[in-house]
Amino acid sequence: MLNLFEREKLELETLSQEQTAINVEHLDLWFGNKQVLDDVSMRIPKHQITAFIGQSGCGKSTLISSFNRMNDLIDGCRYRGSIEIDGRDINHPRENVARLRANVGMVFQRPNPFPMSIYDNVCYGLKLQGMNLRRALDDAVEQALRDAALWDEVKDRLFESANILSGGQQQRLVFARALALQPEILLLDEPTSALDPLTTLYIEELMINLKKRCTVVIVTHNMQQAARVSDYTAFINQGRLIEYADSDSLFTMPRKKQTEDYITGRYG
Amino acid sequence: MPRLLNRVYNPTQRQSLAISASASMVAILLLTLMSIIGFILIRGSAYFWPLDIYTLTYANSQTGVTAQAFAQIRDESMRAPLIMQSGEQGAIKQRTEEQNWWLSYVVEGRVTLSRELLDPANVLSVSKNPNVAEITLTNGETVLANPLFKTPTQTQRQALSNLQEARVNVDYLQQQIESVRRAHLSPIHEELAEFDRLGVANDAPARVRLTQQFYEHQQTIQQYQQQLAQYTLEVVDAQGNVSVLMLSELEHIDFSNQLNTLGKVWVSVSRIWAFLSDEPKQANTAGGVFPALFGTILMVLLMTLIVTPFGVLAAIYLSEYAPNNLMTAALRIGVSNMAGVPSIVYGVFGLGFFIYAIGGSIDSLFYADKLPSPTFGAPGLFWASLTMALLTLPVVVVATEEGLQRVPSGIRASSYALGATKIETIWYTVLPIASPGIMTGVILAIARAAGEVAPLMLVGAVKFAPTLPVDGEFPFLHLERQFMHLGVFIYDGAFHSQTDSQGSSMMFAACLLLLLCVFGLNLIAINLRARLRKRYTQGA
Amino acid sequence: MRQVKLNTHISGKFNIELENLRNSVLTMGGEVEQQMVDTLRAIRENNAGLAEKVVLNDLKINAMEVQIDEECMRIIAKRHPTASDLRLVLTISKATTDIERIGDEIERIAKLVTKNHVPASETIKSSMLSIGEHVVAMMRGTFNAFARQDEVAALDVYEQDNRIDRQYKNLLTYTSQEMQQYPQFMEDWLEVLWALRSLERVGDRCKNICEYVVYLAGGEDVRHASIESMQQKIDGLV
Repeated sequence: MLNLFEREKLELETLSQEQTAINVEHLDLWFGNKQVLDDVSMRIPKHQITAFIGQSGCGKSTLISSFNRMNDLIDGCRYRGSIEIDGRDINHPRENVARLRANVGMVFQRPNPFPMSIYDNVCYGLKLQGMNLRRALDDAVEQALRDAALWDEVKDRLFESANILSGGQQQRLVFARALALQPEILLLDEPTSALDPLTTLYIEELMINLKKRCTVVIVTHNMQQAARVSDYTAFINQGRLIEYADSDSLFTMPRKKQTEDYITGRYG
Repeated sequence: MPRLLNRVYNPTQRQSLAISASASMVAILLLTLMSIIGFILIRGSAYFWPLDIYTLTYANSQTGVTAQAFAQIRDESMRAPLIMQSGEQGAIKQRTEEQNWWLSYVVEGRVTLSRELLDPANVLSVSKNPNVAEITLTNGETVLANPLFKTPTQTQRQALSNLQEARVNVDYLQQQIESVRRAHLSPIHEELAEFDRLGVANDAPARVRLTQQFYEHQQTIQQYQQQLAQYTLEVVDAQGNVSVLMLSELEHIDFSNQLNTLGKVWVSVSRIWAFLSDEPKQANTAGGVFPALFGTILMVLLMTLIVTPFGVLAAIYLSEYAPNNLMTAALRIGVSNMAGVPSIVYGVFGLGFFIYAIGGSIDSLFYADKLPSPTFGAPGLFWASLTMALLTLPVVVVATEEGLQRVPSGIRASSYALGATKIETIWYTVLPIASPGIMTGVILAIARAAGEVAPLMLVGAVKFAPTLPVDGEFPFLHLERQFMHLGVFIYDGAFHSQTDSQGSSMMFAACLLLLLCVFGLNLIAINLRARLRKRYTQGA
Repeated sequence: MRQVKLNTHISGKFNIELENLRNSVLTMGGEVEQQMVDTLRAIRENNAGLAEKVVLNDLKINAMEVQIDEECMRIIAKRHPTASDLRLVLTISKATTDIERIGDEIERIAKLVTKNHVPASETIKSSMLSIGEHVVAMMRGTFNAFARQDEVAALDVYEQDNRIDRQYKNLLTYTSQEMQQYPQFMEDWLEVLWALRSLERVGDRCKNICEYVVYLAGGEDVRHASIESMQQKIDGLV
């Protein structure tokens, strides 16, 4: 039979070890006495964009933050269950958190460049890792800025303050900052919610291009955005993973009523 | 009451009532500020303005004898001169109250200046003689006289234009004397003292030779001094009595009556310079304030160097590391309350704890050979700076903590997400962003420390210090020395002003200087803060 | 001329998706056009095998319609197209339906051959083939206009339908005369009439697609309007 539109889909339930970037098993998480995540199990495929959607406070940001242990910074955070990246349990007490965070980059909602030059912003993580060679830093900065599609706009003013950049440029700078460390996984916590729609589209395009280099996990309030950029989408409600499927299926024919209600904007 | 207002006035009127009520308070505030600054500015700058010199004919109120004297009016109220100018002799404008006149005449061969209260009725005539000069002596005294001029070669009275040339000779001779003293006499003195200590006999050959040398140099100096004595200035008072002044004791001569406004401005400027660069004379009622200015700035700078790292580290601990419990809250309240402790308490604490306890221990440990005369166990610059640092610490801590808490959480999170540890995050990102807040604290600290007097008097500031805390001698900065401080200087001047109005006008000048000094230090800090803010604030 | 620019979105993936969607419609159109050509050849040569193939091939066209519809739905769900993109997707969805219907009509004509109901009269057959050629030309014009989003070309094609209608009417009159002469083949005649009607319907469907093209290019809905008012509207657009 003739097939007009080619689409490849991975079977999420049976992803092999090589295809899996993050393997979450039975993750429970509490802030104090409040349970935020409830038995979340999922495998996030490598070199794909996986989106987390759900209402505010449903736990999606908490889930993504647990992938690089940013939740450690919050007082009274406890968890149970395992998160494996590259076959290692990142919640293991002997895990080097700084190295984990260098390997699992994160971009936040508001563009927040550090108050230093563009160059120093991009170098920040590298210098922390002890990279001091000027030539190597120069190359890394250029590469990271190119990857973030910012190089052409800033190459003449690398040593000016990052605050002179526009919002969209700042957010791309933040991407470059994370990419300079060559992370395997990039976590995006609502990376475009503070940007205008057109800039948002540029950032989304950037994400799609980044797929070649790393696994991207994005949390977004914006369902349309999840639909546009993601290959796989997980719908989370009240700390539970309700539905996790490829975005084509999820946005055209969700299997669960809760998902249907959420993406069509109905009362749950 | 509000209901009554509502009934009487319509909403627009009520609105303008509220505005005018609050604005009038601002107006009063502004007025107060302006009058303080204006008062200090006028009284302070008046000190430098060359006053007219009058030839006064007056009747002595006690004896009734008519006398003449050169005189100035240095009235606190800065009233206009009393005379109506009409040729040589001016008519006196009638004033009912008594006036403070500064009269200069020769007493026992020495020209002096003294203050007398004269009833206007006793003032017979007033005129202005252009040849009369205000003569400032090296010891800080000022006299009014008609100067005549004499040199060793030209015994006749010469035109005053040669004065400059003669001054050069005098300066040269003085330098010679000074250099002989420094190069030859003081080493001999030291050696002799050494001999005394070692118990060398009076007739030992080395000692005799030294004594011989000592006398030779002493003679050279005497020769120079004789030459110097030949340069004299004859001054004549209004009665025609002559007094002879050594040219070497002459600071400068201003012919105030010959000066136009521009000339007066020029004289003022040179006096301001002398005020800033000279040492105080006549028990802080004349001369300059350089040691006090220097001491104030040095103390403030040292205090800043101590309080900034101390306060910033404390604030970092409180805001970043301290657990969020009752203890921290109590600590925080304690720090804020430290700002309310009266400053004299800090002074007493500094004296009792820093100087006697710590300084005493330092002396007994490291300077035991110099005891019983204390080195660090006495009030000094370092203890003063430390005490002031303690006094201003809460300001810095509170401001820094506020600055730290204003750092956006996203910045911290981003830094952590790039693999930074907590201390790296604080050092590389949080502190730079908080630096304008820290500077605000430092500005407040500087303003407070520069104006404080009471605690300083207990821990190191004195009204007269023989040496500056900084000199060419190792270790160059002498932290144990006592120092002069503008605030203390003013305080001292205020005591003098009860008997001596010249001291009081100098006090105003010092006040003005202190004000400018605080403004200057603040301006530097504010400028720094503006730069930091520009560099480190978040773009929208 | 205002065209929907498919390749200027910030999102490169969206560009590709739209391009693929449009190409799939053209592929489907080409397929249907080939079906028509094959059918005409089958009638001309009385080739039952070829006709059978056309009938079977219709299944493929039906499947294409389903796939394109699914893709349209997917694009609407995931991309939320607006303005010209939305018109394009909706137009494609509708045009696909029309193309599928054309396929069905062609299948019916082809069955004329498979069921051996080809008219004995050479005149009717040749007239029928002549109309068929016109319809093929019209289909080709329609898909070209669609591919280029050329509303002027679409209007040209639109007008061609009048000629087909005239030819159809003439042929109908002629056929009814023949029918009266040979009433014993009534069953065949009915099939022939059906086939003729299908042929005419294909022209009408093409006309519909042309209307969509005008709508797509200018955003003006010209359906159910007279040719004059349609012309006026187009003039207003150009």
